[in-house]
Amino acid sequence: MRQAIGLLAAGLILAMLPLVGLPAFYESFLYLVFHWVALATSWSLLSGYAGYFSFGHGAFFGAGMYTVATLTAGLGAPFLAALPVAAVVATLLSLGIGAVVFRVKRLRGELFGLLTLAITFVLATIVLNTRLDGGPGVYLSNVPLPRLVASPTGTFYLLALGLAVLTLAAAYTITSSRLGLGLFAIHDDEDVAEVEGVPTFAYKLVAFALSAGIAGVAGGIHAMYVSYLTVPDTFSITVPLYVVLMSVLGGARHWLGPAVGAALITASLYAFTGGQQAILGRAVVAFVLILIVLLLPEGLVPAVLRRARGQRGRAADVAVAPILAAAGARTEAPATLDCRDVWRAFGGIQALRGVSLSVAPGEIVALVGPNGSGKTTLINVISGHHAADRGRVELGAATLTGRPAHEIAGLGVSRTYQIPRPFAHFSALDNVALAATFGSARCAPAEARAEARAWLEFTGLGRRAAALPHELNLHERKFLELARALAGRPRVILLDEVLSGLNPGEIASAVHLIRQIRERGVAILFVEHLMRAVLELSDRVVVLNEGEVIAAGGPREAMRAARVIEVYLGKAHVA
Amino acid sequence: MVRGALVALILVTFAATALAAPAGPPIRIGGTLALTGPLAPTALLHKIAGEIYVDELNKGNGLLGRPVEWGLLDDQSKPDLTRSLYEKLITVDKVDLLMGPYATSGILAAMGVAQRYQKVFPHHSFGMPHLAKYEMHFPTAAFGPEPNRTVPTTVFDALAATSNPPKTVAIVTSKFSSAQFQSSGAKEVAEKRGLKVVLYLEYEFGNRDWGALAARVKDANPDFLWIGVLGLDGNQMLEAMKKLDYTPPRHFHLFPAPGPLALAPDAKNALSVTVFEEHPPFMSNAGAAKLVPLFRERATKANVPYPYVETQVAGSWAAWQCLEAAVTATKSLDDKVLAQWLKKNRVDTIIGKLRFDGPNNYGDDLFRVKQVQDGKWVVVWPREFAAPGARLLPP
Amino acid sequence: MPSLTLLGQSVVSGLLAGGLYALLALGLSLSWGLLRLVNLSHFALALLGAYLTYQLGHAFHLAPWLAAGLIVPAFFALGVVLHVVFARFRVTEFTSLLVTFGLAVILESLIQWFWTADYRRYETPWASASIRVGPLFVPTLELLACLTAATLAVATWAWLRFTYVGKALRAAAEDPAMAGAFGVNHRAHAFVLSGISAAYAGVAGAFIALISTLAPAQIWAWLGTVFAVVIIGGLGNPVGALLAGFLIGVSESVTMAVAAPAWAPLVSFSILIGLLVLRPERV
Repeated sequence: MRQAIGLLAAGLILAMLPLVGLPAFYESFLYLVFHWVALATSWSLLSGYAGYFSFGHGAFFGAGMYTVATLTAGLGAPFLAALPVAAVVATLLSLGIGAVVFRVKRLRGELFGLLTLAITFVLATIVLNTRLDGGPGVYLSNVPLPRLVASPTGTFYLLALGLAVLTLAAAYTITSSRLGLGLFAIHDDEDVAEVEGVPTFAYKLVAFALSAGIAGVAGGIHAMYVSYLTVPDTFSITVPLYVVLMSVLGGARHWLGPAVGAALITASLYAFTGGQQAILGRAVVAFVLILIVLLLPEGLVPAVLRRARGQRGRAADVAVAPILAAAGARTEAPATLDCRDVWRAFGGIQALRGVSLSVAPGEIVALVGPNGSGKTTLINVISGHHAADRGRVELGAATLTGRPAHEIAGLGVSRTYQIPRPFAHFSALDNVALAATFGSARCAPAEARAEARAWLEFTGLGRRAAALPHELNLHERKFLELARALAGRPRVILLDEVLSGLNPGEIASAVHLIRQIRERGVAILFVEHLMRAVLELSDRVVVLNEGEVIAAGGPREAMRAARVIEVYLGKAHVA
Repeated sequence: MVRGALVALILVTFAATALAAPAGPPIRIGGTLALTGPLAPTALLHKIAGEIYVDELNKGNGLLGRPVEWGLLDDQSKPDLTRSLYEKLITVDKVDLLMGPYATSGILAAMGVAQRYQKVFPHHSFGMPHLAKYEMHFPTAAFGPEPNRTVPTTVFDALAATSNPPKTVAIVTSKFSSAQFQSSGAKEVAEKRGLKVVLYLEYEFGNRDWGALAARVKDANPDFLWIGVLGLDGNQMLEAMKKLDYTPPRHFHLFPAPGPLALAPDAKNALSVTVFEEHPPFMSNAGAAKLVPLFRERATKANVPYPYVETQVAGSWAAWQCLEAAVTATKSLDDKVLAQWLKKNRVDTIIGKLRFDGPNNYGDDLFRVKQVQDGKWVVVWPREFAAPGARLLPP
Repeated sequence: MPSLTLLGQSVVSGLLAGGLYALLALGLSLSWGLLRLVNLSHFALALLGAYLTYQLGHAFHLAPWLAAGLIVPAFFALGVVLHVVFARFRVTEFTSLLVTFGLAVILESLIQWFWTADYRRYETPWASASIRVGPLFVPTLELLACLTAATLAVATWAWLRFTYVGKALRAAAEDPAMAGAFGVNHRAHAFVLSGISAAYAGVAGAFIALISTLAPAQIWAWLGTVFAVVIIGGLGNPVGALLAGFLIGVSESVTMAVAAPAWAPLVSFSILIGLLVLRPERV
């Protein structure tokens, strides 16, 4: 909140600047600074927060430039009327790209970068070879510039300032909202984010659209500023490269980071413009940039904040300790999980062949079977990570099959991973809070944190709330998985080998924990190799082999069935 | 005889220097050049030309008896930076006079600023005359108002005057704004003259695969190839054709890097256009005798591989000459006064007599046809500007 | 309808252009794929290599292959030194962009300082030589560059596939912690790889000097296309980079031969986008 007011106040004070009567150069210089602040910050909305590294910001910027050029110089539209159109064109472009690309799971990381780069080339080629430009460039000298203040530079300054403030406000709002939390989770592990209830497709699309729309407006204003557009200048490597560099320098995951990077790099362009030291000056600036990044690799803003927090932080930590496990008192209405004739193949391998099973509220069902028998696949199908080829999964009255994973999570299905997959840049507390925010609990942010604390206490991780996942040991990470699964207030919880790798003491406490969960009326399906725990915990056992249920029933009967022994020990042992 | 006169002239210049040194607060002339970035290769030549000019002014009587300071900034080949730097020069540094930056995009960006502050704006490397609407800009890239018509006409006139004029033409041009502008004009001019344009290709600026383009030219087998190039694209194109065992009988290069083209083994008889070469009659133009040796010395010292004065350097020098002529004639630094004088008078420059009273302040097209002969550029057309004894060599 | 000769010639030209892209892409692909460093300064190193080849040939009349013989080992050492810095400061994929960008700018300034911004052209008698194959002409230097790219790509692939160091590097790229647990000394191998990557930049540079024209800002001219080649080929996959170079080169070249040349990037990059969206698992 304090930051939001600060931003607004800074914006208002800066807006007064043209009235002071500074030489036009300063307005012009600050115009460029805010122009880059808007561009770099908008880039980070998708690429910094969600980690979808775009090399195509120039495409949206260029789309905005040429939209304004075509509408004003070509069709005689007024500049200010053309600006919103620039935003719309760039947004539509990004939505079109996103609607296709975000459905393809592999198009992450460098492939997404490549794709956006290729789109920039294609767009540039189209503009270059059609009436939009055709080669000679577009000159906007006859387009009247609206007079917000007396001087044209002042007008540009105010336009860019306005855009930068709006962009920063958007960035700030996003980073402290569900959207931001979801985007950060996508950055760390998109599949897990979806399973925890984050609507990843929609979130990426919103972030992409916003990012592109802002770039479009920035391009639209810049078209008037340079007043002569050519394709090589517009679609050059400068925009996509510089927004990345600025974000890296300032810190791409903080709302203010890219802005600080943008201000520094833009200012550095002017540091050595004197004719005699131009060449050497560039080298000096580059050297300073290298030094900053080597010494503060996480970016300037996060580094400064960490240092500032380092002094205050410890005192705050102590106050965390005793919190009552108030949360968890309320659970959703219990429901039965039903799998009916579920089939799933991967390429030529049939992983599930008509699996049927059900888990009632308060029941613990163990899913056992040799490696590759389809246990984890079944969990993936129930949680919506994989679609079933055939068959239905139901939870109470709701059908789960066919729904995206985040909706299934919202209906009350939680899972853990055999190898824990916490969000690497989230503290233990935030990991759990995310599940409370997006799972069926749907908590508001503050409530989610309280809830998360309660679940950390419940799993015995209360004192590790501030730790990052890589600082936790295996046992703690497994329990973090549990806490995260519980925080969604699930009706069904799917546990994938929570006990493996734990020592006997830890196993005992985990078993105790699972029993407590059952007492809340949660249906529990757990995959386990550890027979002692299976026998001790489960009400029923379902045995899978090669994707088929070969036995089911009470723990001891099921394990004694002839086919089970055959599968586990080979034929000879069947007496 | 000529050399004797030159020596005498230089001696007189030195003597004059010794007599009067400029005094008083300096006159400050501001401008930017693309000292770094993709435009830097040519901007470097403009920098050397400008430095020589200012040094020479200060060795003499300065301007109006005052020393001259050139505030040169690096615009890094970026039009947006160029714009803001001209704002800096005018509103912060408060320079007395302006000198234009290098190349079309930068000049347009700066011209808007000059217009807003009503500053006289001489510039030397602008390729799109129809876009320059400001009443106080003074171009010394002396294409005339319609280079897309006049430059090709000169070239085709030159070819028509040879013993076996070409009948078929291929035009291959970069989609760089000014190159494409003149090349598409060349197509129209050729067709109007009854020549058959057998191939017209536009390629992306920054192209790197010349093999396919060369194969198409070879396939079309024209009598004359017009290459709308910038920099070294022409060299690459010639080499690529040579690799296909093909050399076009006649080939023309629009804006080549002059040195590398003259020295290239495949560039025999290559044609281009110029406003100045280091031979008569150009050497008797105003200031030529002074600039040529000085440029050779400075450029060699700066490690420039082709230290000869031609279009770019001469255009740059001419822009300075216009500025000096106006200031000296009016004894004023007032932009309106200077502009009025420049509009009304002809200025005697190194590239000939310049006037600024035509459409968009353009005057005559001073571009002549030159050819590589024995590894050197010589002007061959029109005849009155040809180097002594030189004529356009047919294939 | 274009003649078959024209079509054939454009395919040859595209293959050879692709070979040059691949030559530049190789080192970049290795460091990105196996060290997780996006080395923007690779282009600057290549151009520095080109200028050095030019200088040694122009001023000291040293034949380009002899020049390359000096440059390549020197660049190997340079690559090792660079990695010492990267390792010391724990440079990540993300920060490597900025660090190597800065390095590229410094190298660009250095080149401009020594050789000025003016164009340089290394004139050699081989520049326009070619071999005739039926109706087609195969330019000698480009062929040599392409063969070099192919040789290096296959040799690098074999090295990564069959030798201990290669396997260790791939293992470390996939799971550093696990490889470390098996006693793989990742860091020592990384220095070798960084050296090789820089040495490849030197090789590419020598050919750029012979084939192309030089100006300092050309560092940035190759960036887009070569990036595309590296990623299509698969990070850390040398043979993939070679094939990707051919794909881009040929599709552009054939477009230039049969249609308006300025549309060439549209064709090649549309193919690429189509591949990515429809067959992402193949990329």
